[in-house]
Amino acid sequence: MESDPDADISSIRAEIRALQSRKRFLSSSLLTSDALQKHLSNPNTPSSAKSQLQLAEASPLLQSANTHTESNHHRIAFSTTAFPFTDPSPHGSSGGGEDQNKDKKKEKNLLGVRIDICARNGRFAKPYYVLLKRVPGPDGQRRLRVHRHTIPAFISMEKLERTYLPTPSQTGEQEQREGEEEEELKPWKKKKRPNRKPDLHAFVRTLRRELVSWQKRRDAVGLLREKLGVRNQDSDSEQDIFSDVKDGEGWLPINSMGLASLSPTALEARYVRLEWEDGRVGRFKLSNTGMVERAVVIGDQGRDKMLEAAMTGGDGRVESVLDRLGQYTISNP
Amino acid sequence: MARPKSIRAPTTASLPSILRIPSTSPSVSKSFNKLSRQALLDLVFQWLDDNNVDSFPPYLERDQIENTDPDDEETSPYPAEQTIDDIRNAYQDLQDRKGGKREVIDRVLEGDWRHGITLRQLAMVDICYMEDYPASLRWTALELARLDVVEDTQTSDLSACLPRVHASTFLKNLQQLIAPLVKAHYHLARSASLPLTFLRILVTNSPYQHPRQLPETLMDSSRVIYIAFPDSCPYIYTSISSTGSKTSTSATTAVGTDTRSLQRIVRDAIPKALSRPQERYTLKATSLSAKSLQALLSLRGPSRSNAANGAFSIFADAVVEGSPLDPRPANTVSPEEYMNRSDEKENKRTEDEDTKNTDTHAAKKRKLAVHSRFGTSGSLSSAPLDRFDVRLLDSLSGRDDQEPSEDSQPTLSLSFAGNDVISGIRKLAELGIVDAERMPSWMTGEEGVSVAVVNQGRRVAKDSG
Repeated sequence: MESDPDADISSIRAEIRALQSRKRFLSSSLLTSDALQKHLSNPNTPSSAKSQLQLAEASPLLQSANTHTESNHHRIAFSTTAFPFTDPSPHGSSGGGEDQNKDKKKEKNLLGVRIDICARNGRFAKPYYVLLKRVPGPDGQRRLRVHRHTIPAFISMEKLERTYLPTPSQTGEQEQREGEEEEELKPWKKKKRPNRKPDLHAFVRTLRRELVSWQKRRDAVGLLREKLGVRNQDSDSEQDIFSDVKDGEGWLPINSMGLASLSPTALEARYVRLEWEDGRVGRFKLSNTGMVERAVVIGDQGRDKMLEAAMTGGDGRVESVLDRLGQYTISNP
Repeated sequence: MARPKSIRAPTTASLPSILRIPSTSPSVSKSFNKLSRQALLDLVFQWLDDNNVDSFPPYLERDQIENTDPDDEETSPYPAEQTIDDIRNAYQDLQDRKGGKREVIDRVLEGDWRHGITLRQLAMVDICYMEDYPASLRWTALELARLDVVEDTQTSDLSACLPRVHASTFLKNLQQLIAPLVKAHYHLARSASLPLTFLRILVTNSPYQHPRQLPETLMDSSRVIYIAFPDSCPYIYTSISSTGSKTSTSATTAVGTDTRSLQRIVRDAIPKALSRPQERYTLKATSLSAKSLQALLSLRGPSRSNAANGAFSIFADAVVEGSPLDPRPANTVSPEEYMNRSDEKENKRTEDEDTKNTDTHAAKKRKLAVHSRFGTSGSLSSAPLDRFDVRLLDSLSGRDDQEPSEDSQPTLSLSFAGNDVISGIRKLAELGIVDAERMPSWMTGEEGVSVAVVNQGRRVAKDSG
């Protein structure tokens, strides 16, 4: 049996690394475990001088494990959490033109908002972050503005910011003036939005709803594809749905509905494209609440209204759309 | 007697995909020559595929009977084949044995497509070349912005900020808009490796369906415009330089027929073609252009890293902390582990660096500073900018801004060029040549632009870009 010693070494190294990371996982789970924490915090535990010493040695580790679990619990329970972040840039992050040192210190402190979203497979997606900076408003108050974020581009942060975190300098007078002008020109257009107050809570709430419904839409498409017999290749849920979109040749296994493919049209998974074996194509729109809002099916003879009605009919849920399609194919062979 | 004489009347239709360019023309073989042997063979198999062969009919024996030219046949080294299967077998033989690409090109141009190469085939050759050599073009990112910002109170559908691109409808609209001025050939292709759709437009100024121009004008690379549509984001990338078109807009309002103004017409038509009633779009500059499409995708793309670069790239790559189910405290896990990039090579390299750098306290501190300033950009994740131009507006006399003597004030312009400018600056900081703690944030690529105007370490947004 001949083998490359280099390959042997590298495989052994990989094994060592795997074992080391497993050890770290186990030791940190042990540290954070409820039983241990209770045991240590309980003063009544009979303890010798030796174990006291050990405890003192382990206490920084315990401390950090404790805070870590606590923040994890918060992240799981509340899904949206805040954290402080200091911009390492020596010039601060605010665009405001003050040069005092004190202000610069403040400018460096950012408010971070973290949104954790759980996917269908029980794993958490990469957390989404929004970092907000404080800028001086004209009334002396400090207003929050979005500084950096990791929100995907199809969710318009500018729009959200304009709606929920308006700065008075931008909106206040200028908009009022514009609004008045517009009202003179177009009296039928009522002024829809009075001068809104910045509302960080509403901002975060809307943003989170948008992100969650995106995740839910992707999960729904993943579920439909799973029902049709596509196995989810990877735990990395961001990839597997779109592998199909990319090559466009991922035909589904043969099914009773005659569906040849089912995939989201784009990253935001708002529209789902269907293709049948007989050449009909269709797409339906997924609403944020998980309903099939609209559906279009076009075949060689034009639109197939019956099938469209079958897709949007019933309870309208996206999860049951395949059942409705199946029933339709049985009753209309 | 190549083809029956067509009626030459000016039309507004697009140039047909089946318009053939004589395969003897030197520019055709030049563009074929750019591809590798394997890429050429792959393309030929694609043309000969059952689904496609009708669009790219090869020269068969039965074609010979129609145009009787006995001299030609005898001299041709590639006798016309009987069926398409024979041609496929011939290329399969070429595939199986080794050899130069010359024999493949010769066989295509003098043998099986001796009657001419269609515009569509040429477009496919060009796209193929672009996929193989992604740095062959310089791309500029442009933002699609709504023109009529009607504040709709129903912000229920936030993703409605994207124009929906339906390829054929878009092409039809574009064709309608530019048809009176520009005759063009369009080719749409989906990128094999990136989440992009390419549109290749070849512009000519002849109004005729079968232009009697030299084939070179149809092959001229300056007449070709590439537009890339990334998935699910309000940006498009073009190979037209935006600055050039801007100046020509102001300089000449009359319609010229040089390639520049033809390109400008196409560029202006793109946002209009994407617009719909009640939903008008315009293109805004984003001060980013780079040769690498990967860089554009990560700085102006659909993913997380659009507005989180430099120091903030740790958030974009989610290496600050793990999922809330991870029991390991975040400070004990390295960014490489979070990104699942623990392959042998990388580990070895970092270990080496560790042993080298931990020698002195200063080096350790520097390493920490570099990591806090650059995050993961320039090392783990990179958006390679090949050029980075910065204009500094700071006064030379130090921090004193009291005297506003703008007229006599010189400004300093810096240009960085290289394979990956940001990771180069990171290297300099790691070596201690650039002070990582005191350098301004634009040096870390935090702004995600390739052209910036800087005042007191902060980028001054010039035109909302």
